[in-house]
Amino acid sequence: MNMFSKGANRRQVLAGIAAAGTTLSMPAIAQTRRLVINSNANNKLRPVFDQIVAAFEKAENCEVQVNYADYESYNTSIRSFLVTNPPDICFWFSGERMRAFVRRGLFEDITDLWEERGFFAPTGALSGALAVENRQYGIPMQASFWGIFYRADILERAGIKAPVADFPTLIEAGRTLRGQNITPFAIGSRRPWTTAGWFDYLNLRINGLDFHMGLMGGQESYLDPKLSSVFDRWQEAIEAGFFLENHTSYSWEQAAAFYNQGTAAMMLLAQFARGQMTPEVLDASDFMPFPKVDPAVGNFEEYPVDSLHIPARAANKELAREFLAFFYQPDNLAQWIVPEGNLPPRNDVELLNRDKFLEKGMALLAAADGTSQFYDRDTDPDMAQAGLQGFQQFMVQPGERQAILERLEATRKRVFQQ
Amino acid sequence: MTAAGNEHGRRAREIALPSGAGSQATFGPWRPGSDFLTSLALLAPAAILFTVVIIIPILQSMWISLHDWDGLGEPRWVGLANYVELFGDPQFYVSLRNNLIWLAVFLLAPPLGLALAMLINQPLRWMGIAKSLFFVPLVLAPVTVGVVFTWFYDPAFGLLAPIARAFGTTAPAILSDPSLVTWGIVVAAIWPQTALCMILYLAGLTNVDEDLIGAGRIDGAHGFSLFRHVVLPQLRGATFIAFAVSVVGALRSFDLIAVMTQGGPFGSSSVLAYQMYEQSIFSYRLGYGAAIAVVLFLIVAVFIAWYLRRVLGEEARN
Repeated sequence: MNMFSKGANRRQVLAGIAAAGTTLSMPAIAQTRRLVINSNANNKLRPVFDQIVAAFEKAENCEVQVNYADYESYNTSIRSFLVTNPPDICFWFSGERMRAFVRRGLFEDITDLWEERGFFAPTGALSGALAVENRQYGIPMQASFWGIFYRADILERAGIKAPVADFPTLIEAGRTLRGQNITPFAIGSRRPWTTAGWFDYLNLRINGLDFHMGLMGGQESYLDPKLSSVFDRWQEAIEAGFFLENHTSYSWEQAAAFYNQGTAAMMLLAQFARGQMTPEVLDASDFMPFPKVDPAVGNFEEYPVDSLHIPARAANKELAREFLAFFYQPDNLAQWIVPEGNLPPRNDVELLNRDKFLEKGMALLAAADGTSQFYDRDTDPDMAQAGLQGFQQFMVQPGERQAILERLEATRKRVFQQ
Repeated sequence: MTAAGNEHGRRAREIALPSGAGSQATFGPWRPGSDFLTSLALLAPAAILFTVVIIIPILQSMWISLHDWDGLGEPRWVGLANYVELFGDPQFYVSLRNNLIWLAVFLLAPPLGLALAMLINQPLRWMGIAKSLFFVPLVLAPVTVGVVFTWFYDPAFGLLAPIARAFGTTAPAILSDPSLVTWGIVVAAIWPQTALCMILYLAGLTNVDEDLIGAGRIDGAHGFSLFRHVVLPQLRGATFIAFAVSVVGALRSFDLIAVMTQGGPFGSSSVLAYQMYEQSIFSYRLGYGAAIAVVLFLIVAVFIAWYLRRVLGEEARN
């Protein structure tokens, strides 16, 4: 409203001036500093984040507004809110998905914060996931590790020795389980990203990290003969009845019900899978790395890292930097990684829930020769959309392999032409 | 406004005009208070709103469809390349075929709605309860309908599985089968659509002239011939609207697909509206999405043209 419009009477104008006066003097009062954070954290993580935020509000004497959104809708809306209504801090993913925004000038360069607060030493190699041309664009929040969760009780009953050493042994184990009417792997591909776990791991185990990242970056072709053995092994597993029937009808959470029931014995997922297990099943479960396929290829693992960023058009960049530094303290991170059983993003964090999964996950990454993040985090989003759909189709109609690969190759050429 | 009142108003204004102000502009259609100016003023709010929220976005979509644009950077002019790609895209034909399935099945909604309306329009006890039960799907949000049907179809834990087992067969995994999935969603969608048509017919039935039915009876019409030749012609208005909303409903189908399958498995249940959304939002291809939108718009425009011709023709006849 324009307070100097003709209709306003004297009293209104005076009230307006008084209001404007307070607004103008506001920034001088520390109490009214406001920070807006957009978050895709789930219900388990929200209380922990709220606690950290409350501590920050007290320490800095400011007000923080956290906008929580559902994971899927957050991930689709971030592009518009970064442009139209940027918060001061947003949750996102490091690696290619961060770089896509950095290239478009949407994330703030916070290398100064990294240097000033000495983040490089405790963060180690992980800092590379937040870097573009040696500049840092965010801080890592937590990391995931991928592998095979299995029901130790069921495998033992079936006479299968775990961990499984190599892929032929895994196929054999799958056949044994099938013979006993147990589905080897529970998988839900209604949202098709789960299928990419199989593609990524087979490709990493057969062709190694360099080829995999080349494919993700668009330099390698989807029609490369190197990929035939990846899809051959995958098809072998499909034809051995490895996967849950009608898996396109279920989300991964629904598929986990079969694992809990004991009608399925294993799941290829990240550590968050434990969130769907009942306490008894969690006790009966164990974790093993994805088995070797080609013994000559090194240990490459999936290692997705979630992160916090300051949008380039944020209003309170200084306060936002303070929050990042506050959040990135080892004590806060120690609390933050508990609910989902994540790996810490820096090496001086005390682990409060050191259970068998976390131990094995840490050992897995300590022994890794290199890491990728995940298919839909390592490649272009447009490519990922086509790729995930193609993998889902392959798992249902393996006979369509050639048509699927040709479609993916056409998409690769279009996406990476510039 | 009556002619006399209008005349009076004009004279009053002419008197009120200061001398010398009677320039050229005060004559003809631009004269203050003329019918033309009044109708222009009355039309303006609607016309401006329509232009801003409908016409301009349509033109913008057409313009965007000629570009390669990710929604953030600079749009790159590509001419008709998006359309060329679209007509060579197998997914486009899958979506188009699914739209036609939706359309064909949705055309069943008006006759089904009419049958239900005839059934429950009888003055029997408890019919009020029956009416409200049939009315329920219309009150539910489409998302609820989608979720309920997804559970119903769930091949392991859904209600369909034990029903099939009772008949000694296994239920197909409807939402996983590329050849069944669209039918499964359309069945969920036609449930509220039938209820909508039923409501339209119930409203139409209250306007049916009892005298005409009586006259028909005297002339020897009864049963189906009475319905066919006396009742149905009086429901023409309702029939027309029921078909119109069903056709448009089928073409703009989106919500149930988004809730039940997200177009899957592997795109086999997508329709044009969903494909447009998927390309624009998830693949970040706003130009390509806009091209799909324009094609969908042209398909709908054909129908709207037919609809408007009917409506305007009817008005001209009255």
